[in-house]
Amino acid sequence: MGFSELSLILGGPQGSGLETSMLVLSRALAYRGYGVVADREYYSNIVGRHSYIHMSISSKRTPRSLTYPVKLLVSMDAETVFTHFKDIESGGVLFYDKDVRAKKVTEIPSIEESLRSRIARDLKALGAGEDLESVLGVLRGRGVTTIGMSFQEILRDLMKTFGIDPRSLSRYVSGIITSSAALLLGLDREALKYGFERVFAARAKLVEQNVYVADSVWRELKSYEGLLRLDYPETEFSEVLVATGNDVVAIAKIVAGLRYQSYYPITPAADESFFLEKYEVSEVDGTIVGPIVVIQTEDEIAAINSAIGASLAGVRSSTATSGPGFDLMVEGISWAGMNEAPVVITYYQRGGPSTGLPTRGSQSDLLSSAFAAHGEFAKVVLSSGDHLDAFYDTVLAFNIAEKYQLPVIHLLDKFLANSTATIPLPDLGRVRIERGLKPVPPGTYKRFNLEALISPRAPLGTPGVIMWYTGDEHDEFGHISEEPENRVRMYSKRIEKLKLVDEEVPGDLKLRVYGDEGGDFCLIGWGSVKGVALDAVDEIAKRGFRGIYVDVKMLWPFPRRELLEVLRRSGFGNVVAVEHSYGVNIADLAAMAAGVQIRKRIAKFTGRPITLSELTQALEKTLTSDVDRVVISYGG
Amino acid sequence: MEGRGVSFKSDVWVDWCPGCGNYGILTAVFKAFAELKLDPSKTVIVSGIGCSGKLPHFVNVNGVHTLHGRAIPFATGIKLANPELTVVVHGGDGDLLGIGAGHFVALGRRNLDIVVILHNNGVYGLTKGQASPTLPLDAKTKALPKPNIQQAVNPIMLAVASGYTFVARSYAFEGEHLKNVIVDAVKHRGAAFVDILQPCVTFNDIFTSEYYRKRVYRLDKDPDWDPVVRKPEERISKMLKAIEKSAEWGERIPIGVFYVDSTVSTYEERLSSRLKVYPKVNPASSVIASEDLRPVVDDVKFKKIFSDLIVRVSKRV
Ligand SMILES: Cc1ncc(C[n+]2csc(CCOP(=O)(O)OP(=O)(O)O)c2C)c(N)n1
Ligand code: SF4
Ligand SMILES: [Mg+2]
Repeated sequence: MGFSELSLILGGPQGSGLETSMLVLSRALAYRGYGVVADREYYSNIVGRHSYIHMSISSKRTPRSLTYPVKLLVSMDAETVFTHFKDIESGGVLFYDKDVRAKKVTEIPSIEESLRSRIARDLKALGAGEDLESVLGVLRGRGVTTIGMSFQEILRDLMKTFGIDPRSLSRYVSGIITSSAALLLGLDREALKYGFERVFAARAKLVEQNVYVADSVWRELKSYEGLLRLDYPETEFSEVLVATGNDVVAIAKIVAGLRYQSYYPITPAADESFFLEKYEVSEVDGTIVGPIVVIQTEDEIAAINSAIGASLAGVRSSTATSGPGFDLMVEGISWAGMNEAPVVITYYQRGGPSTGLPTRGSQSDLLSSAFAAHGEFAKVVLSSGDHLDAFYDTVLAFNIAEKYQLPVIHLLDKFLANSTATIPLPDLGRVRIERGLKPVPPGTYKRFNLEALISPRAPLGTPGVIMWYTGDEHDEFGHISEEPENRVRMYSKRIEKLKLVDEEVPGDLKLRVYGDEGGDFCLIGWGSVKGVALDAVDEIAKRGFRGIYVDVKMLWPFPRRELLEVLRRSGFGNVVAVEHSYGVNIADLAAMAAGVQIRKRIAKFTGRPITLSELTQALEKTLTSDVDRVVISYGG
Repeated sequence: MEGRGVSFKSDVWVDWCPGCGNYGILTAVFKAFAELKLDPSKTVIVSGIGCSGKLPHFVNVNGVHTLHGRAIPFATGIKLANPELTVVVHGGDGDLLGIGAGHFVALGRRNLDIVVILHNNGVYGLTKGQASPTLPLDAKTKALPKPNIQQAVNPIMLAVASGYTFVARSYAFEGEHLKNVIVDAVKHRGAAFVDILQPCVTFNDIFTSEYYRKRVYRLDKDPDWDPVVRKPEERISKMLKAIEKSAEWGERIPIGVFYVDSTVSTYEERLSSRLKVYPKVNPASSVIASEDLRPVVDDVKFKKIFSDLIVRVSKRV
């Protein structure tokens, strides 16, 4: 018997190849039929600060959440062990570099001072010394198997065999930790080699060298092979997509028919545009897919406004950004609203305010998205709970933008953006491209024809047709008009379109209920809390509480009717909201839009993702006591 | 729509102050567009906010009246999405060189085939006469309570330094000259910039039409003036000459073409070397879905395009 689910951490300095380890390992695991989700945590830094990959693996499905404690900690350096040793469960395993056993926590400059003293304090309390050797002792005392290996020896041997320049040896550390993780999990060397081949692709030498490293690791750690063996996989997929949230959204944009993407570099959004640039045009079976013009603009103001320009020319256009960039785009969004221009803004939230926690996640921009921009006008805000949802929602975002001629904000976050998951291939048979293009009526064209809430939209360049746009209030032709009667009609038209969205978009695209209604509680959230919320609902059922998770997918217009119906059926009593923010603002939005009072709130705003263990505990606390607000903060 | 015989004058009442230099610019635009036989449905005027920003409403071609300072980004998106369109930007000095200065520079770097026309009146007209980025230090126009405490930026110098490949100046009331410069700017392939000295009768009592009438002189009258870069090696020397000439201001103010360089690739050309199919197949002309609303990318194509991210599961037996 092995493990059907297992979580692990791979840690090391930023820039040392951790990400490569994640790519290789996730591909090797996927190849053998395991489901994987892996979150990447890193500082706003290029080289040297502590970063780690927190991964969940399952033999049954794609895992939905991350959890602590972990079964396995694979460390590249001493800092990783100091930072995470408390996260290893008893009976778990630590893999470490023997050469750094004497390192003291007080000697590591890259650890932030407050953390360093906290670790030193913790060690003292445990009666341990400040060096790594002492930590190993503590761990062994807790029943953790510690497996050390001299990285130097492996690397020196590699250097001799392949004549590698000593200065570039450090890039093979990634191979050591990937191999040792694979070995401990009971993956075979062929699967590992497959992972190397997929990641290094044409660079055959690198594959060969990494396979050599793997062989050395296998020789040395033979007796530990399969110590944390995974169960034989029961997953049913024959093909999976192994991709980050950024990748998935980019893929969906290509499927949706995106033709213009503008961006100004910002974490964690830029990778999406990079991906699009790579796939800007393809030719398959004689069909051209694209071209997509991907442009790095001078700032986010140019990003949004050029995307709106492209939209006026009739193409599907979007921009991807994060909080600081979104703030700069707001005036453009107001123009798009005023001019009924379809445009999609993919918004990956990170920790604010200001530059805040630039590389950490959050859901703190809900209200800022829903209420962004001056004046009143229709705008839609969508969110997605996981990679696969994000795929379909991206297509939906374009369909809504074009059908209703308005800006759509697709509100995602860093957790989704940077986490890699194995996901089933999307079902393209389900995908429709709805552009809402109606024939342009004969006669003089009126871009803002008042006969219906949605006026026929002709792109700039339509033969024989001319039109005007202006951010000023305008008449049906798009010419400036301050006449009050026209103002009332135009202004109302732009706002009332939102009613159509509310009436026409199917309920399950706006709000989705998971679990059996009529239980003891209703957990409500949106976006990336979905996976952990679902797992917490399952987990807490084992402790006797039955409940549902309500995933609010369309945040604006708020699905008032749908929420009220769910609550009517399941009772307004124990409603708990959860969010990666201080305010748990979905509760306030629900109060405002649906008149629902949600007192119980679970908040996390450390920039680290909510994990299963802490959410389950917090949920239990809100259900069993009169504590209304629980703030959680686990994770380094 | 055929360009010939089309009236480019729209039926919107022109609400600029009587005597405003913008009238001269508008007339020159009508004439230039007529001479170029532009198809109104394939032509777009994109403007910013200000008195100048209203211009597209007065012209019978597509008009996009955008945000303060942002006409260039809008125009960039329009042009890249549909490279068949003729795109002309009109903006004030506050608009293009103050709030929108970053975009102004960026367009030069891209050398995208867009014309930028600066209504240079030294003031923020629409907000009632504050100093604009082209008003010299210490100048005190009538609406200013105190003399200008900031220096002026030289639009020609900035355009040349930013990489515009056609840089010219004209004067709002020098009708024929202005029309010709606009025609040349539209014909030029790449980013073109026209600085138009534009009297604001209401707020600028220094740079008036009397002021300009006495001072402007035509560069093309000088047989030795040759602003054209014919080979890349000449670029720096011609740039320096253009910059030097643009510093001439005071008793004599040159108008005409300062700099032309057709040896620099346009953004469209750079894109086309990357995208291959561009500009023939472009965002606006390409298909994204079938008649029954299905995406061009079906399951088969999906697997081919994204094969790098797909893992075929091979469980151990
Ligand atoms: C973001 C923003 N800030 C300020 C304004 C107010 N505003 C309107 S026009 C204008 C200045 C116009 O000056 P200029 O660009 O030189 O155009 P002109 O009126 O002189 O043609 C300003 C500041 C605005 N519309 N938008
Ligand atoms: S304020 Fe000046 S620039 Fe504006 S319309 Fe009047 S004269 Fe022309
Ligand atoms: Mg001005």
